[in-house]
Amino acid sequence: MTDSAVSPSGRSLRVVIAASGEERIAALLDVLRSLGHEVITEDEGPDVVLADRHLPEKGRYPAVVVGGTDADAEGLLPENAAAAEIDAALRAVAQGLIVRSSRARGPGFSAAQDAEARTLLTPREAQILDAIADGLTNKAIARRLGISLHTVKFHLESVFRKLEARTRTEAVAKALERRREDTIDL
Amino acid sequence: MAQELNPLSALSDVLVARFAAARDSVAAVRLSQRAHLGAIRWQHDVLVTSEQSLPERDTLEALLPDGSAVAGKLAGRDPATNVAIIRLDKSVPAPTLSASAAQIGTLVIAAGSDGSGRPSARLGMVNAVGPQWHSMRGGRIEARIQLDIRLAVSEEGGPAFDAAGGWLGMTTFGPRGQILVIPAKTVEHVVPALLAGGRVPRGWLGVALRPVAIPDELREAGEEAGLMVMSLSPEGPAAKAGLVAGDIVLSVDGTSARRLRSVLAHLGSDSVGKTVPLRLIRGGAVITVEATITERPAT
Repeated sequence: MTDSAVSPSGRSLRVVIAASGEERIAALLDVLRSLGHEVITEDEGPDVVLADRHLPEKGRYPAVVVGGTDADAEGLLPENAAAAEIDAALRAVAQGLIVRSSRARGPGFSAAQDAEARTLLTPREAQILDAIADGLTNKAIARRLGISLHTVKFHLESVFRKLEARTRTEAVAKALERRREDTIDL
Repeated sequence: MAQELNPLSALSDVLVARFAAARDSVAAVRLSQRAHLGAIRWQHDVLVTSEQSLPERDTLEALLPDGSAVAGKLAGRDPATNVAIIRLDKSVPAPTLSASAAQIGTLVIAAGSDGSGRPSARLGMVNAVGPQWHSMRGGRIEARIQLDIRLAVSEEGGPAFDAAGGWLGMTTFGPRGQILVIPAKTVEHVVPALLAGGRVPRGWLGVALRPVAIPDELREAGEEAGLMVMSLSPEGPAAKAGLVAGDIVLSVDGTSARRLRSVLAHLGSDSVGKTVPLRLIRGGAVITVEATITERPAT
């Protein structure tokens, strides 16, 4: 599952695990080994720390925290992060970058906005996006929704324009984020 | 060594003194072995904290500034304004807060707890102040106060003070990592209701909605946008009124659904028991149903 995560500088990293409980340590160890990283102790000078839920206190090395919310951590991933995400975060953090998953935290306490009709999707456009998220081709979408290929393309153009997306992946990601922020409970 | 105090040292000394005065108003709520949340000491036996970050749990442990741990119970939560209160099993003297209003540029000392539950401080300023607003959860917040500071997760829920020691409100995380303050005025309005009844009564329709554009062929409905029903609470007013997933709500009690803030204003505490018309699109036709607003159940 990790082939797509191997970067051009795909060397193995020296990683320290910071977790409590044998089970969690074993789980993280498995992930790191499957990614081809070397697991060492802190005294050996790691590239990066992989922590479970909590940021180790007074850490001297950059850390990726899985399932935590501590804003001080260089990397924050959701609890159910995939191996490829962990790999990408470890590499980025080891390079001095800050990593935040868009899934790591709730949307925050936010304001109700009046709808901006111009950029809202119609129900049909939302259906087409759902189909794209399922990995369907335009032809398959047309079949699923019982509309012509031409109509699918027409709606897709509108979706891309409204979401200011250039690729299908980007459109799906932007729509997901919007949905998370937009849903209101009355 | 210069004899007279340089201005920076003077500023630093004032900050230290201010924080020393403020720290008795701060507590930490233990969330797990090593995770904490900031809290405001409201009364001798009451803490105020950030609702959105408080787990669903009846009993909680609080750490007070003197390092003592006191058990407490969740006594009320209001997701609409992001305020929750915890009643402590033991009464420990707490200072009285004196509310103050934020202005752009107001110097702010935000107090919270460090990873171990000890008090921590942040210094910054009020970055922006906006008018009254409505949260996604339907609460009215008296002003939109945004700070320019960073906040660790364990610092959320603590008090923010101005340079004179006036209490501006409670810090919380807004969208995209923004640091917001729930104004003192809002907290002062909500806490008594929570103390009295454990919640703030609000009108409820029992429906999750998402804004959608109305397709061109249905523009005769007179609206460019509406709210599509995503899910319904099984016994909620909307379900009882016959709404189904996929319906697009055009207006609530005559107020256009795209004006979400006005719709929320229709669901205040005085709305409970009122019957309101909901205009909606179902299967290409515009229909109107009537729903009787009930009180939002406790979360």
